[in-house]
Amino acid sequence: MKLNITLPKYLRIGILPAILLVLMGIAFVVAMMRYAFGIGAISDLSYSYPWGFWISFDLFTGVVISSGGFLMAGTVYILRIKEFEPLLRPSVLTAFLGYIMVAIALLVDLGQPLRIWYMMIHWNGTSVLLEIGICVMTYLTVLAIEFAPVVFESFPKLHKVAHLIHKFIMPFVILGVVLSTLHQSSLGSLLLIQPTKLHPLWWTPILPIMFFTSAISVGLSMIILESSLSSCYFQRGLETHLLAKLAKALPITLGVYLVLKFGELAIAGDLHYLFTSGIMSILYWAEILIGVLTPMVWFSIKKNRESANGLLTGAVITLLGLILNRFNVSWFGVKHPDPLTYIPTFMGNVKYFPTFPEVAVSIGIFSAGIMAFGLAAKYFPVFDAEHATEEAHQPSHGFQAVPTPGDD
Amino acid sequence: MTEIKHHAYLFDATRCIDCRACMVACSVENNIEMDKTRIWVAGLGVTGKFPDLQRGTMVYHCMHCEQPDCMSACPVGAYTRAEDGPVTYNPDLCIGCRYCMNACPFGVPHFDYDKGLVEGAFIDKCTFCPQRIYNGQEPACVETCPTDALEYGDRDELIAKAHARIAAHPDRYINHVYGEHENGGTSYLILSHVPFKDLGLPELPEEPINEVSETVMEMTIPFALGWGAVLTAVTVGVAAYDNKKKKAAEEKQAEESK
Repeated sequence: MKLNITLPKYLRIGILPAILLVLMGIAFVVAMMRYAFGIGAISDLSYSYPWGFWISFDLFTGVVISSGGFLMAGTVYILRIKEFEPLLRPSVLTAFLGYIMVAIALLVDLGQPLRIWYMMIHWNGTSVLLEIGICVMTYLTVLAIEFAPVVFESFPKLHKVAHLIHKFIMPFVILGVVLSTLHQSSLGSLLLIQPTKLHPLWWTPILPIMFFTSAISVGLSMIILESSLSSCYFQRGLETHLLAKLAKALPITLGVYLVLKFGELAIAGDLHYLFTSGIMSILYWAEILIGVLTPMVWFSIKKNRESANGLLTGAVITLLGLILNRFNVSWFGVKHPDPLTYIPTFMGNVKYFPTFPEVAVSIGIFSAGIMAFGLAAKYFPVFDAEHATEEAHQPSHGFQAVPTPGDD
Repeated sequence: MTEIKHHAYLFDATRCIDCRACMVACSVENNIEMDKTRIWVAGLGVTGKFPDLQRGTMVYHCMHCEQPDCMSACPVGAYTRAEDGPVTYNPDLCIGCRYCMNACPFGVPHFDYDKGLVEGAFIDKCTFCPQRIYNGQEPACVETCPTDALEYGDRDELIAKAHARIAAHPDRYINHVYGEHENGGTSYLILSHVPFKDLGLPELPEEPINEVSETVMEMTIPFALGWGAVLTAVTVGVAAYDNKKKKAAEEKQAEESK
């Protein structure tokens, strides 16, 4: 990758892509081992812990950090707040790649990866996982449609196709927001069936609402993070004034989440667990302090919202805390039945700690996502929203009034 | 034996001598390796101080719940519950997501962690020996049990039998038949002289634990339709407002240019 940036020279010839390629290679080898010798050969997953790092990181984290896509699509297309236009394409791209990463990771985690499409034809209506599967598959298609014009714009012959897609984009945008609302919240519902296993600090019937509320904050932080990083890497201007507006919304979304969190505990009468559950209490306070309280204070300070560093720091803190929440809910807070004094050997593994190959798979897939983002940003007009803003000033009617990038 | 309307097991922990013949029987009947049997014996070992020694052993396999959580959780419907009790798994539909293992409060479904793509990794669990019970025989584990710690019969009759046994020996048993009401009722009933928790059995409410998630799932489609309608209305409303504003601005501009 040749990049016109002010980083040291050795970075220009692509140390980052090289590292990413190595990480992807390691993940590929590990994945092949898994297909040859089974999941047990490379992971610490067991009868007691059927879900581990992969589900917490690839599925729970992967989906939630992709929530920026539907937030921006909703803001720009549905609410027509067009000033956020420059953030739309990178957010949709992040979401699109994020969901592809989730799908690839599931191909490693599933016992029968070749049957992943069974979810399309064999439906069990009571299964939360089915709802998530269908939503994710459909939303991936919607995101592909939302992002397609950006690709088609790069080929003069396909401009007409890009225009056509834009003409009929609204139903897809609405569908995308509905699907996102559903599966972002349903990831929380996934744990509803484990009231006896998930710690009462996290298990609540309103888990889906909690997940959706926090997904909004994660989405906003992700947009700030990805804009900051790519402006640094691609040496382009940072839309600080826009990001500042997102940052201003964060204390509000996080505030709602905070009220929900403690309100629920108070109503359920579980407040005493905040201090009596040892490591669980500490994990709970950690996610609240890092992911909610600190960012609320941080982004309430104007100076932090208006400097590039302040924005980036705040976003990273928020993400760390809220991702810790996903890990808590899907892994740390889940306790599987206690072992008895003596048990058959095959039931023996009642502790879980991710192995190196397990983590390597996730890191490799994540690297592929970063790589794909870089390549897409390099070859397609992802950050080039000038056409769009020009279009926005032209009079138009009905759905066509939506700015149509590439329609020139 | 009378006609069985609802197949069930009764396990009496006081009678189990930890011989593990049931595990062997299961292995032979179902042609599975000894370390992957669908039944397993676990327990407290020998506890207490001589001469007051006590043994606590638990024979554990699928509880065949009345409202199974595995069945509720499975995305592709690989689990079915027969009208007369047995909960069975169909490997032909399984995608290997292992959500059933998370959902089952008893930790029953097991997974082939040692199988690659070619051999195929599946879930395994007790089938209730359909090849035997529908031919008038007892399940393999029950038939083998030398002390009648495991018994097989009609659920209602076994519940009555269990309560009668508690009444006959109130000093010997905890006055509770585990599985009569737990998790909405199970087809594996347990009598014990030590607290059920010590046998590794979870404390469960009488309502099946899948009730909350099933209620949420029922609300999903109405919610999706409603939310879609709201968003469509907002879109149309904002578009109309936007166009009106633009038109007004244009007219103003036109007037000014005059």
